[in-house]
Amino acid sequence: MEGWTRSGRGGAFNGDYPVRKRCFLPPLQKGELTSKVWHQQKKKGIILNKKIKFIVFFIMPVLAVLVFIFSLKAGAKHITLFDAIRALFGIGEESVLTIIRQIRLPRVIMAVTAGAGLAASGCVFQGILKNPLADPFTLGISGGAAFGASAGFVFGLAALSWIFIPFSAFAGALIAVLAVYALSMQRGFNSNSMILSGVIISYIFSSMVMLLFSVSKTNHIYSAFVWLMGNMSVFDERLLPAVVTIVIIGTLILCLSGNIINAVTLGGQKANTLGINMEKTVKIIFLLTSLITAACVSCCGVIGFVGLMMPHIMRKIVGGNNSVLIPASALAGCIFLPLCDTLSRTLFAPIEIPVGVITSIIGGVFFIVLMMRQNRNSI
Amino acid sequence: MIEIKNIHAGYSKKEILKNIDCSIAKGSFAGIIGRNGAGKSTLLKVLCGLLKPFSGQIFINGHDVYASSKKILSKTVSFMPQNIETNFPFTVEEFVMLGRYPYMNIFKIPSQKDYAAVNEVLKFAGADVFAKRYINELSGGEKQRVLIAQTIAQETDIIIFDEPTSHLDIGSQADILNILRVLNKKYGKTIVVTLHDLNAAGEFCDFLILMEEGSIRNTGHPEKVLNYKDIEQVYKTTVVVKTNPMSSKPYVIAVTKENRV
Repeated sequence: MEGWTRSGRGGAFNGDYPVRKRCFLPPLQKGELTSKVWHQQKKKGIILNKKIKFIVFFIMPVLAVLVFIFSLKAGAKHITLFDAIRALFGIGEESVLTIIRQIRLPRVIMAVTAGAGLAASGCVFQGILKNPLADPFTLGISGGAAFGASAGFVFGLAALSWIFIPFSAFAGALIAVLAVYALSMQRGFNSNSMILSGVIISYIFSSMVMLLFSVSKTNHIYSAFVWLMGNMSVFDERLLPAVVTIVIIGTLILCLSGNIINAVTLGGQKANTLGINMEKTVKIIFLLTSLITAACVSCCGVIGFVGLMMPHIMRKIVGGNNSVLIPASALAGCIFLPLCDTLSRTLFAPIEIPVGVITSIIGGVFFIVLMMRQNRNSI
Repeated sequence: MIEIKNIHAGYSKKEILKNIDCSIAKGSFAGIIGRNGAGKSTLLKVLCGLLKPFSGQIFINGHDVYASSKKILSKTVSFMPQNIETNFPFTVEEFVMLGRYPYMNIFKIPSQKDYAAVNEVLKFAGADVFAKRYINELSGGEKQRVLIAQTIAQETDIIIFDEPTSHLDIGSQADILNILRVLNKKYGKTIVVTLHDLNAAGEFCDFLILMEEGSIRNTGHPEKVLNYKDIEQVYKTTVVVKTNPMSSKPYVIAVTKENRV
């Protein structure tokens, strides 16, 4: 072992300690520390770091690109793969160009963005709350957005201008986040109280949605209902640049802060002695993540299970290290949501099923399988 | 050198530590003993800057702990809590890497130096053989080694352990305490540790602090502190104190009710 120099800057405290220049722990003599033979304890379950990196940073982006192109190609009108790619670069017939570039492309971009944003933020919520059940749903953010959008539809804001529904959904989501935050910060930060208040707030909002529906006109309820089940087609293209910017920048920041979130999972005491201001860090990350989620759900409605399921799948593959897990989950979302959206368009074409229905069905089945497998393994 | 001056501390309104006043010399292996709820863990928290005392001050090498920056503090004092909830599957290496955070940049991206340090401490703590395994599938003794590796990866001169040997069998317990002893004797680290096992405290520590209901009853070397009168009064039971024939350190045995004289 070649030594490494002491990297501490010799802060004020180190005054009367000698600064060791070389290796601070030279190799020990055999048997100095151990009374047992540790070398016999090798077990399975080792995943090589290189393999994980290969999966995350090579295979998944390639898959994402393939899914992106496939989603452009698939749809009610038959377009060949080659034509779809050509149209992407602005070559081809007028009608194909219109379909690809003006109808399908924005929609697929939205699906990719929302998938990445929801999956990454679900992963971050699970990390900072140290609870594998946390996601935009359980934290009440989706509930708040649903309430905001429903209120927008029921009070007829949708007829006034296109921008009101996403905005009222966004406002609803932010109100929910602030309510959850205020409730759970009553006695200092605590992950259980945060999830509990999220569930409470989301129940309150969902009953308020029901209240709104019970007193309003049928046609309003129908359009609100379509929105509530999550749908890529109801959003407006004019909002796309703003949402994409917020979500992509936010997700990049989240991907970079994976190592900090690792420290947060250690718990307050240890994280604080590592020189990390726990409360402040959690606050910033929580608000950033909520912003990303709110931007996603305010555009494409309530899409369940993406934020919950992607991190779970990826955790099985890449492990719990958030610096890898968050980008991996984001990429998984980029792959999963466009696929689901394509299914929703093509499965019963020309009728379109809400994408939220598809993600929830797949997610539900996935969790049943996961639970059954875990039970079998534990017996 | 840790100087504790007239500390009163506790949680919200309840005062747990009452007028604690003592000092721990540089390079000593100090053990804090006392009953459950005597304030041992609270004292540790106050020591490493986690719990601001109501009144009083703590000086480490002459600098007030609660007046200095967290960054410098994190390079001077490291703390190993009793247990760490790990719901998520980290590998041992990734977990130990967390201990290097005081030396990393804002996004905490590890450098080559950090990887070298992690390898070294894993080897030191005897945890290198399971470096690639997941932390949540280790046994208690192995987990404790990993926690220790993480704590010493922080490269501090003062290391504080909160009950590092609870729930461990006697072999693992001796392993862990021997690691601490090597850290203390060979590398000159100041070690502060809370222990429930009085025998281990007498055998491994060279300075003991006996606490009783939030205040210090006695301090000094084990032979002085572990006398039957103090132990019986603090622990409210009858004990016999003998000398270990091999190490000539004191050890303490409880006596059953019907055999008391």
